[in-house]
Amino acid sequence: MALIKQSEPIKTVRKTRSVTINPPKMCQPMGAILAYMGVHGCVPLVHGSQGCSTYPRYNIARHFRESAEVAVSSLAEDAAVYGGSKNLTEAIKNVKSRLNPAAIGICTTCMSETIGDDVKLISKKALTPGDKMKIFPASTPSYVGTHLTGYDNALRTLVETLAVKGEPNNKINIITGIINPGDIREIKNMLRLMNVQSIFLSDISETLDSPILPGGHKPALPDGGTSLTDIADSANSLGTIAICRTAGSAATYLKNKFNVPSVLDAAPIGVINTDRFVQNICKLSGAMIPEEIIRERGRLIDSLVDVHHYLYGKKVAIFGDPDLVSAIVRFCAEAGMNLTVAMTATKHKDFALDIKAVNSEYKTDTQILEGTDLYEFHEVVKTHGAELILGNSKGKDLADDEGVPLVRFGFPVYDRVGVYRYSIMGYNGSIYLLDQMTNAILGHKYDPDKLHQ
Amino acid sequence: MTTILPECDIPIPQRKPHIVCHDPENMVLPVCNVQTVPGDMTERGCTFAGCRGVVGGPVKDAIQLVHGPIGCAYYTWGTRRNLSDTKLHRKYCFSTDLTEESVIYGGAKKLLNSIIESHELFPEGKAVFVYSTCVVGLIGDDTEAICKQASEKIGIPVVAFHCEGFRGVSQSLGHHIANRTLFEKVVGTAEPQESTPYDMCIVGEFNIDGDAWIIKPLFERMGVRVLSVFTGNASYNDIPPMHRAKLNIVQCQRSSTYIAKMIRDKYGVPYINVSLFGMKQTVQALRDVGTFFHLEENAEKVITEELAKYQPLIDQYRKRLDGKKCFIYQGAPRAWHWMGPMRELGIETILTATTFGHKDDYEKIMEKAKPGHICIDNPNALEIEEYLVKLKPDFFIGGLKEKYLTYKLGIPFINGHSYEEGPYAGFEGFVNFAKDIDVAVNSPVWKLINHPLEVK
Repeated sequence: MALIKQSEPIKTVRKTRSVTINPPKMCQPMGAILAYMGVHGCVPLVHGSQGCSTYPRYNIARHFRESAEVAVSSLAEDAAVYGGSKNLTEAIKNVKSRLNPAAIGICTTCMSETIGDDVKLISKKALTPGDKMKIFPASTPSYVGTHLTGYDNALRTLVETLAVKGEPNNKINIITGIINPGDIREIKNMLRLMNVQSIFLSDISETLDSPILPGGHKPALPDGGTSLTDIADSANSLGTIAICRTAGSAATYLKNKFNVPSVLDAAPIGVINTDRFVQNICKLSGAMIPEEIIRERGRLIDSLVDVHHYLYGKKVAIFGDPDLVSAIVRFCAEAGMNLTVAMTATKHKDFALDIKAVNSEYKTDTQILEGTDLYEFHEVVKTHGAELILGNSKGKDLADDEGVPLVRFGFPVYDRVGVYRYSIMGYNGSIYLLDQMTNAILGHKYDPDKLHQ
Repeated sequence: MTTILPECDIPIPQRKPHIVCHDPENMVLPVCNVQTVPGDMTERGCTFAGCRGVVGGPVKDAIQLVHGPIGCAYYTWGTRRNLSDTKLHRKYCFSTDLTEESVIYGGAKKLLNSIIESHELFPEGKAVFVYSTCVVGLIGDDTEAICKQASEKIGIPVVAFHCEGFRGVSQSLGHHIANRTLFEKVVGTAEPQESTPYDMCIVGEFNIDGDAWIIKPLFERMGVRVLSVFTGNASYNDIPPMHRAKLNIVQCQRSSTYIAKMIRDKYGVPYINVSLFGMKQTVQALRDVGTFFHLEENAEKVITEELAKYQPLIDQYRKRLDGKKCFIYQGAPRAWHWMGPMRELGIETILTATTFGHKDDYEKIMEKAKPGHICIDNPNALEIEEYLVKLKPDFFIGGLKEKYLTYKLGIPFINGHSYEEGPYAGFEGFVNFAKDIDVAVNSPVWKLINHPLEVK
């Protein structure tokens, strides 16, 4: 809240315990599978124990309410002794012969990395000369980083494997990171209004939000996703914008290897962050800001004006993936809310800087928790207070304990329907998020008399 | 020959012996409990899943600590609907969150500290269960010694489960490891506060969506004292005195017969198999227990009361479901537990499949199957899709991973792993089961799929 004086310097809190309690983070294969699921005709293949594919599949199914087919090399005791090369080779052969996919996206696991399989070499040998099928051999050991590291590694592997220099294509590459189908559709809508052509790296908007069609006819592999040709063409784009900086290493690769300008900037949530996204698009493409975008922006500001009496000074605590959290922190500050605690389990160099920048601009004193867990988050929330919590479904218990509502965003959300369908990005998506937050406050012990105008 | 090779399996003929079309004249059981064909899109999970997720996980006041990188702990945090009257086991997820450094130098110290800290933060935990994941087996942490050391320090039991995911062929080995570990390290370490001639344990009942809360009172009303439920809504303290039961009944006969047998062999406690799903099977279970304890009259009284209350409701649902055909795909026992109850609702099961069934599971399926029934061992996504399209059942009862595939094909579905609106066990639960099938099959939504969109 604007009037609060900074009592003590804001420190970044990092967990000092050995034990992790209630971690809002997953392992690398989870993120890598999501990156591969945004590629047309690509079958993810986990090189590990069977749980390493089954658990992520379960997680995807309950968030997106879609089936997620993932192959696994079914490593067992013999692989622990002799290596997993035989299993992986056979798995590639079987996926190829049964599904004839455009590509196979491999994710390694703690097991295959510890036994030391050379996945690049095994994949290369598994392809016959002149093979049209591609293999992406990403290294995604579960004991390094989080699901976001896995997403980043898989996405970079896609681009490294496919991108080739050719004719300029006049397109903008958009690296999405782990966001929802609704978000991707909204970003596409903005680009359409701005008349800018794009390549999405990658695109789960169709593959993980598919229709039921007459007759119950279902394609063998899901429709949609970015084509291999488009990924190859990403080397010839006007520039790359990573709207999640944690997924930015493919942008850096394209810049270093093919001189494609890269912009790693805040996620387009709220007024100023969405402005930056629009400005970045204009700078890279030379596009003008169309009237419709200005009107959308105006509607967001109109929405903020409508609700500022309800939101001003309201204490909010937030947890989630760093790009989404820091963007929403700024948006909450724009709405005049008092963001007490911002937490992420995945460490990222920009996270604390982002929050500190908001603290200094808006004279807020948001506590920063990085690389920690929800147990610690809850303890800090108890000290600093919250009237609203923002996070994924894993925040349900602590929100209940605090007796405050939880507005769900991020991944996974499995105890509410439809969250993946709606955007919280762009001017339109920000309006939706704002209304969700306001209605959560109004729906929770708010004096109904005060809602009559 | 009664084995079949579906079209999707032509490139992997090694699947053929796993898929059987039932012919009573020439009965063949599917080949089972063997390694999955790599890359076949299996639905199977790992040994850790069977140990942590199924058998150990429901123990409500144990600190469930997963020793390994973060994923395995996260994915088993509050997923299976094994309910309890406290929240420790589902609300909290404990992990040593191993990183690269531990993989290189070992995770022993981190594990020891994690056990001690968990106990300090959650003194209400009656024990600490430590589950090893793949990487721990590979780097060779001596978890047994660390758990012993920690237990001496904190003064409560610390139980090490060696359930690395890569061991065995499926979740099944994890069940066995959990049974053996709890039998060897916990059962017999304490005596019950009192003993009666009517003490019984319900084994292999995990209180999915509250099943145990329906089952347990049925036996209590008969005059049986339920000493422990293994492990649904169980306190850690319920497990040590299991050896003093006069009888064990086994519901999940894949995951938990192991401990019933070990208790029988060491302590002479007999066990009987039961199916507590459907009216007829539940009646049979109550009668069997009544006979054992010479409480026949009490059993009949409970049966009469329950049937009077719930049979009319079942008869109503039967009218709405008669003639329907279904697929059942479960871990293993529920595939055959539910074939009889389906017939009580007028439903014929035309295909069964199990993720990790052993020979005895498939024998039980074939005993109940009609000629032409298809039975699949360790089915994969492509086989499931092919048979759904080919045989078009009126509904499919499987797990979450198959749910949305089935919906896309326009086929009604029920989650048989965690249930839709359970509990499903016992007489009352069977009414919920019938209701959920009715909701799935008779929802108007299915008619919209083929309703044409055209300009007239």
